[in-house]
Amino acid sequence: MRKTVSVLILALVLANLLVGCKPALTPTATPVSAAPMLIPGPTSAPRTLTLPGDDWGYPSPFTRYPRGPGYIQMSFLFDTLAWKDERGMIPWLADSWEVSEDGTRWTFYLQEGVRWHDGEPLTAEDVTFTFGYLKEHLAPGFEALSEQIERVEAQDEHTIVLYLKEPIAGFLSDVAGSVPIIPRHIWEGVEDPKRFTGKEAVIGTGPFKLVEYSKEECRYIYEANGEFFKGKPVIDRLVFTKVQDEALALKTRTVDAAFFWGKEIEAVRELEAEPNLEVIEGPSFWVLQLIFNYERPPFDKVEVRRAIAHAVDRSRIVEQVTHDGAIVANLGIISPGTDWYNPQLSPCDYDPSGAEEILDEVGVRGLSLTLLTTGEFVREAELIKADLGQVGIEVEVKSADWGTIDGLLREGDFDLAISGHGGIADPGMLDTPTWPAMVYEDEELDRLFEEQGKTLDEERRRALVWRLQEIIAEKLPVLTLYHPKIWCVYDPAKLDTWFYTKGGIATGIPTEQNKLVFLKR
Amino acid sequence: MRVAQYLLTMFIVLSLNFFLPRMMPGDPLSYLTGDPTADMPVAISEEVREKLLAYYGLDEPLARQYTDYLINLAHGNLGWSIYYNAPVSSVLLGRLRWTLLLMGTATLGYVALGILLGALSAWRRGTRTDIGLLVSVFSLGSWPPFFLAMLLIILFSVKLGAFPIGGAKSPTGSNAAGLKLAAEVAYHLFLPSLALVLTHLSGVYFLMRNSMLGVLGEDYIRTARAKGLRKRDILLRHALPNALLPIVTMIAMHLGFLIMGTMFVEVVFAYPGTGTLIYQACTTRDYPLLQGTFLLIMAFVMMFNLAADLLYSRLDPRVRRA
Repeated sequence: MRKTVSVLILALVLANLLVGCKPALTPTATPVSAAPMLIPGPTSAPRTLTLPGDDWGYPSPFTRYPRGPGYIQMSFLFDTLAWKDERGMIPWLADSWEVSEDGTRWTFYLQEGVRWHDGEPLTAEDVTFTFGYLKEHLAPGFEALSEQIERVEAQDEHTIVLYLKEPIAGFLSDVAGSVPIIPRHIWEGVEDPKRFTGKEAVIGTGPFKLVEYSKEECRYIYEANGEFFKGKPVIDRLVFTKVQDEALALKTRTVDAAFFWGKEIEAVRELEAEPNLEVIEGPSFWVLQLIFNYERPPFDKVEVRRAIAHAVDRSRIVEQVTHDGAIVANLGIISPGTDWYNPQLSPCDYDPSGAEEILDEVGVRGLSLTLLTTGEFVREAELIKADLGQVGIEVEVKSADWGTIDGLLREGDFDLAISGHGGIADPGMLDTPTWPAMVYEDEELDRLFEEQGKTLDEERRRALVWRLQEIIAEKLPVLTLYHPKIWCVYDPAKLDTWFYTKGGIATGIPTEQNKLVFLKR
Repeated sequence: MRVAQYLLTMFIVLSLNFFLPRMMPGDPLSYLTGDPTADMPVAISEEVREKLLAYYGLDEPLARQYTDYLINLAHGNLGWSIYYNAPVSSVLLGRLRWTLLLMGTATLGYVALGILLGALSAWRRGTRTDIGLLVSVFSLGSWPPFFLAMLLIILFSVKLGAFPIGGAKSPTGSNAAGLKLAAEVAYHLFLPSLALVLTHLSGVYFLMRNSMLGVLGEDYIRTARAKGLRKRDILLRHALPNALLPIVTMIAMHLGFLIMGTMFVEVVFAYPGTGTLIYQACTTRDYPLLQGTFLLIMAFVMMFNLAADLLYSRLDPRVRRA
């Protein structure tokens, strides 16, 4: 026995020696000719930026996961005709564009000299191919494309004309600024793009090239594309890696920036106190709301919905649950962080006695209801329960996972539910089928919604959207609770160009990870 | 007979795997298109919804889907994960390696340490060593693994900076190979496995201590002492092997708890294992992946039961005869 133990110890020591010795041995093994390469010049040290991430799918337009971060990973590799910065739309693959009077014909003039990662030139053919291919094959986020676009033509090598079935108000940002252009010479022969995961599937025109993707370790490694048409990125190596606690990871400099939202404000305050970190704050375009089942009593009466709106103390929720990591919403759903917010809506005051009066008037007393919520919003639900208890409405809070709640909402089998909704940077996003405010039947609401979606003139569209918000605030299909804020905390020594994109990236992704951050501008 | 039993269990579990996820409200598309935390919700029409259902074969009648599932399974095909957009088998195997590494290391650690400390405690029964061990192992065992894991991170990674805060390899990726790679993996493996070893130690330790106390009272130990054997020889040659028997069953039965503990520890250390995978598959209603993960767990539990059965009868001749 003693012998075995000593042998084991010896083996361990030897193994350690081997591991320890290895670096010391390498220099002698390095060929002399390579030595000059090792001398670090002032500009030759590669700049690596490490950011917290997760697995968002292989970053091709077809295999990425459907949510925002999946789009962002893809956007480092693929470009769109137009893009956005902190002030709004900017030319990108197309250096200019024009639109016909009636808004159904868009002409784009391609930037010259753009090359794919494999060296092939980008042509108008690639763009027409992209739209044709996306209409035929389902790509997350662009399922509706075939309903919007009539046809796409290449007029010459650098001019593309898109014919729409009807004008789309958000066309520049939602289509031209969102659809990733893919190389025809690669995708032409691909039958099922969802199962195409070779190296060719991530060849784009973007500022970075994919070096490594690990699904289980949730890691992306990109290297700068030296041939990028807007100039080589200032970061040589961009790494996304999974961490459990972003604040801790930033403190230990495992990552160089961290991203937070809403209730995570405590972490932001703590990091703010550190000497070498800076913080920027932005809008999330996200809204938390209380959904009424307005198809069955008692919520079929708008008075009852109004009474509830007065009975719930929304500023208390923002204060006590989010610790001011959010702002109290007005009743029009749209976030004040967008261009479409209507600041003139009459405020909805917390007024429990007024609520009781309304309930007495319509003769609705002694209510006993259930309130559905996901685990994330149980504390909000408890406060609502307490508030409604004050006006004599008994509430039972039931917590379930989103799949369950989504199922119950679809079937209309609920009284009240708490649910959030993101991406409402553009009013067009309100048209999500699961979004109760828009399933609510109201003639004027439907008409306004349809009209604003076709109105290209920004001022006229704004007037329509403002009216839309007035109606929502009046009819209260849902009660908006709050809009969370988002933050980016970063080490300015590593990179200090962070900003928030106006209206969010593509169709409204509220993120700091705009590829422009990594470029010389 | 035992084979038939195992086959029947397998069939029942397979069918449950298929039907239970589908009985939960919601479907895989509700997550793909409109999750409440989504920052880019996708508005799809009913027509597109049907196209997607057809693409994933979810529009077929349930009975048809069930037979397809069984036939595919018989061919070794676990299907295609809807959320991860990859073959279920590759998603599972990619992560299983890491979970097995973590669980294997932790099991070796807690079993070896538990046996050692348990035997020591029994041998030194009533002394300060025994009481000190009893108290410390007992209190460690009552901590939830994820809590201990967080404490370890704060102490070793944040305060001392001695270990990484998580992951299985260097966060910026590495080109290391061979021994260097092994060292890097071991470096990242240390804290997560330590958290598991410390929280799972108590079971083996107490069982070993009790079993050892029982053995130490046997006549053959007295005989050995009377022969004048050295303490160490009595302990290691005569007492230990006989006290080990119950430990074998214990390890197999303890496996379920270890899987649970591993999941939590994986989450805290952002370790690339199957823990988060099961959670993700449930929330996204990814039917094929759910079937795959549950199949895997079933296979493990059954395998270890069988192994315990066989091993026990080999170790203890009395069981074989009975």
